[in-house]
Amino acid sequence: MEQNGKLTVLDPHGQPSGIFGRRLDAQSNPRAILDPAEQPSGELKRISMAPRAGTLDGKTVYLVETGFAGSVEFMEEVQAWFSRNMPSVKTVLRHKRGTMFTDDPDLWGEIKSDGGDAVVLGVGG
Amino acid sequence: MEDEFGIPTAPLVTARFADFVERDARARGTPLRFGFPPYPVMGMSRDVLRQYVEGSDPITAQPLMQEVIEALTQPLTEREKHPTFVRKPRRPRLLSADTAENLHRQFVENGWTDGLPIVLPTEERVAEMLTGTDHDRDEIVGRMLITTHQEKMEYTVEKVAAIAVMAGARPEHFPVILALAASQEPSMPSSTTSWGRMMVVNGPIRNEIGMNCGTAALSPFNLANSVIGRAWTLMSINFGDARAGENFMATFGHNLNYNNMCFGENEELSAFEPFHVQKGFRPDESVVSIFRGWNMLNFGLGPAKEMAHVIATFGAMMPTITFVVDPLVSKNLRAEGFKSKQDTCKWIVENSKVPAGHFWEGQMQAGMAMQLARQGIEPFASWAKLPKDALIAPRHSFADVNILVVGGETNPMWITTDFAYTRSVSIDKWRPKCGIRRDARPLRMPAPVTCKDGTCGIPETVPSTEPELAPAQNVTVRN
Repeated sequence: MEQNGKLTVLDPHGQPSGIFGRRLDAQSNPRAILDPAEQPSGELKRISMAPRAGTLDGKTVYLVETGFAGSVEFMEEVQAWFSRNMPSVKTVLRHKRGTMFTDDPDLWGEIKSDGGDAVVLGVGG
Repeated sequence: MEDEFGIPTAPLVTARFADFVERDARARGTPLRFGFPPYPVMGMSRDVLRQYVEGSDPITAQPLMQEVIEALTQPLTEREKHPTFVRKPRRPRLLSADTAENLHRQFVENGWTDGLPIVLPTEERVAEMLTGTDHDRDEIVGRMLITTHQEKMEYTVEKVAAIAVMAGARPEHFPVILALAASQEPSMPSSTTSWGRMMVVNGPIRNEIGMNCGTAALSPFNLANSVIGRAWTLMSINFGDARAGENFMATFGHNLNYNNMCFGENEELSAFEPFHVQKGFRPDESVVSIFRGWNMLNFGLGPAKEMAHVIATFGAMMPTITFVVDPLVSKNLRAEGFKSKQDTCKWIVENSKVPAGHFWEGQMQAGMAMQLARQGIEPFASWAKLPKDALIAPRHSFADVNILVVGGETNPMWITTDFAYTRSVSIDKWRPKCGIRRDARPLRMPAPVTCKDGTCGIPETVPSTEPELAPAQNVTVRN
């Protein structure tokens, strides 16, 4: 179609919906990662960052392994680094439940109730 | 953890994905304090991993662990205290340019095509495409994205019509393309592992729109198979917002992404019930079923025993298998005594056991399945405790194995794929009440020749009335 000497066509691109995907629950089928029907989604929620304590001396740091191949070994090396370089920091290595694609709110709650002061989560990708 | 549990967190992501996660965090207004060790981590020795931890972040050139400590201890900045979302702007309905050539250029340069020529979606062409359904042009069909967590793109019936026009489809194809859109599954889900797709159409619409289910159905000899498969890709690019290297991270991509193995099941020649009936649809319903995987592993000939042998050979692969079989194979399987596809698949699962050691040697299992085993999830936890030579059935459910029948009976062969079935979508919801909107003279490529009388479609020789060509003059041939 011609309008004001210009040819016009329809824009084929989708419209931003304001709806974002979220991590799958820990109990979800491992193969649900690409099934939209099984994926939670919703409007964007503003996320606040936690206040920082200024030091890790005498604190407990949880090292959470994501499940990507090699991340167990990598996080064990992070734990060894803390032992060598910051012995005053207590570290606890944990495996995230489910697969690398799932959330694990039970573990986050457990870390909070067990007095975890900080978390290193890795390694992704 | 940061928000709901108030725990300072330092996420570590390999440097190859630094842009990806930083962009994602900005879009969500979530300024996480990432650290980026070198890539890759998988398969690296302890010495290398120790060097990663003790070394520098390749993105910032700062010592990695110093970044981790600072991420967990440094006070929040004002930007971190008051993050803002980066909203994508709404898209216009129409685009314009002074010439058709410049419109084509706009589509190519913006990455809205698959690189092949498209039909420009003018308002007239889109209006014609919309006659292929009764649904309102403004009806929202779904939301899609090639990643799992970023902002989904919404699309209407009119947007799907624009895609159908671009792919070269006619209104008769539109109900199938709308059903694919309604699946909300992208044909090119983003994974570094480079996924491919397959789609099969069942039911009466296959013949109504002239799909090829027979000879060469998976080759480029049929308009419907070509344009429907292509439309799914163009949807995934435009509705899935696919951008190579930005959010589409497939390391080498997949050639199936061009057409997605689009074909109709050969219900007429198959000895088994159609795939959509297996999934609970009526035989007279038209349905599109979609699959996801990576590879065509091999082709094979022979009975179910040989099919079981082949998938046992690939014991360390993912647990799902889809056999694409010629109708002759389905007849042979019936002759072997299998009453249905499900019977066949059950037998194959039970007879394709592999040594546990072979299963755990695969990198795919070392990643995902071993993670589940560590958490005590069955059957992986038990398998991890078995001696290496103990036999296990990696396809632990017969539902992990599928059979699709297609082809023209020129060879009793099957191909083995590692494709998993994901879903089936009814096409009938989208077809007009008055029936498929066919052109007065439907556009068709030549149908595969079926030889029933020994002539193989070759016309009888008629003596030529043309004079014989004279030998070429003035041509020197040098050896």
